[in-house]
Amino acid sequence: MTSITLDELLAMEATCDRDEVVDLRSLETVSSYDDHLMCPICHCPFVRPVRLQCDHVFCQKCLNSAITAFAANRDDFTCPTCRTPTRGVYLNVPRLLLNMCDDIKVRCPCRNEGCPEIMPRGHVQSHVDKYCGYRLMKCPDSSCNKKTRKKNLSPEGRCLHEPHRCLRCDEYIMEQDYETSVLRKALREHIDTCPEVVHPCTASKYGCPVKVKRADLATHEQTCPLIAMGPYFEAQNARLDSLELTIRHLQQRNEIFEDGIANIRSTLVQSSRALADQESSPANSDPPRQESSSNQSQIDSSNLYTATTTNYLLSLHESLREEVGQLSHAITDLDARASMALMNECLRLKEDMAHTNAAVGSIRMQVQWLLNPRLHQGQRAGARPSNTNTGNGNPASTSGPSSAAGPSTAFLRPRRLSDSGREGTKL
Amino acid sequence: MFASKRLSKELLKMQDHLPPGITIVKSDNLEEWQMDIKVLDSNPLYQNQTYRLKFTFSNKYPIEPPEVQFIECPSTSDHPRPIPIHPHIYSNGIICLDLLSSAGWSPVQTVESVCMSIQSMLTANSRDERPPGDSDFVSYNRRRPRDINFFYDDDNV
Repeated sequence: MTSITLDELLAMEATCDRDEVVDLRSLETVSSYDDHLMCPICHCPFVRPVRLQCDHVFCQKCLNSAITAFAANRDDFTCPTCRTPTRGVYLNVPRLLLNMCDDIKVRCPCRNEGCPEIMPRGHVQSHVDKYCGYRLMKCPDSSCNKKTRKKNLSPEGRCLHEPHRCLRCDEYIMEQDYETSVLRKALREHIDTCPEVVHPCTASKYGCPVKVKRADLATHEQTCPLIAMGPYFEAQNARLDSLELTIRHLQQRNEIFEDGIANIRSTLVQSSRALADQESSPANSDPPRQESSSNQSQIDSSNLYTATTTNYLLSLHESLREEVGQLSHAITDLDARASMALMNECLRLKEDMAHTNAAVGSIRMQVQWLLNPRLHQGQRAGARPSNTNTGNGNPASTSGPSSAAGPSTAFLRPRRLSDSGREGTKL
Repeated sequence: MFASKRLSKELLKMQDHLPPGITIVKSDNLEEWQMDIKVLDSNPLYQNQTYRLKFTFSNKYPIEPPEVQFIECPSTSDHPRPIPIHPHIYSNGIICLDLLSSAGWSPVQTVESVCMSIQSMLTANSRDERPPGDSDFVSYNRRRPRDINFFYDDDNV
């Protein structure tokens, strides 16, 4: 809680700076951070922040340089932010601030050497100090001034910077480089393409004895007779392979058949023996020793017999199952056929119905047409009597209404007939 | 090293966001930048004008102040940039502002804050005049701005 004077702060600087492995200000931040966590002088997240009396916070180092640059006389140093005259500095800043600064995610400073780590800033020092394998260390050989990644340092303290010659060509590769797995692969790739490597002819599998440098290989391959024969050999090989395959298949099948024959033979033998036993057992005149042996054989044969019967039953079952399957097939077939036939018939009937409907319709039209003149005649006949009634003035009042009612019933009757006819067709 | 780190951080921030009336003209190296500023209110002295500021940074920036002055582009060019008229700005572009002296400078200042201070210095001015002894100063001065000992007498600006 107590403050220290500016001079004391300056004196602290020299002692504090030594144990720093990493310059925290040059770290590349990954997460974005609040502007309030930024020192207003160096514009980096606070590094070892200190607080002035006016509560403004700066990095210790930044404040030191500000003090040395501005105040020849320490007494008139003012806060860089608010210009409050300042005499004392508090080394304790809120823990919250420190934690927030230490939580900012940064990349390992050895990123250029290949370290992919991203970690909170507070862990960088220990990471680089203890764990990072990409940190550059001085070469253990005191006469060599190059640097080596920490993980490549050999325990026996050998210098990895001596150039070694590629075994095939004159390129020089440092041991450090092919010691690392990635660059060793580069060496291997180099050997794969190096024109000086002695390489056998591609027809070596067909017996070409030539082995030349890769550069001369092309010229040899143009003249090598075995390469010319290559495609033919390939085809022959393929044929041989397929033949071998078929032979193997045939062998397998042969074995199966042989097994089957052996089975059949054994059943035959057993059945004949069983028959013989049956014949011999009624005789029953053998000595007891023979009897016991025959008993044993009977037990054996009964065992075998049950086995063969189960086999027989199983095969019977199989064949029955097959038959059932065939029957079900046939049934589905029949079903499909019947439904097809039904459908066809239905379609035909529907068409017929449509035809008859049309015919009935036309007939009705004709009937109506034929009826029309009749109706007209009836009407005219109905009208004429009324005219004659009025014209003649005869008191044929009884015949008048009756004749007038006549055409109306005549008009109704055919209609009814046609209606009933239509109903008949509808039904 | 310290200066270039701080300047690259400032540049990153300014490329992201700048206050109105301030634009970056040239920032390709970390020693000299050029900025254009405009006075945004309707002060008749500076209306519709753009002025160009030149920042020269020493390698001790921001502990030491940058050298800031106006530079002139001829009115015949595509982008004419005159020297603004102001009682504290000499006609050769040198600015008499205590913020820019080593005594008035504070390391918390940035290029952005300096531009804003000069903007407000112009905004607040209403006198259409050069500093006293302008012609003498312009013809005889061969010193660099940071070596001149100005006497800051005017607290109103």
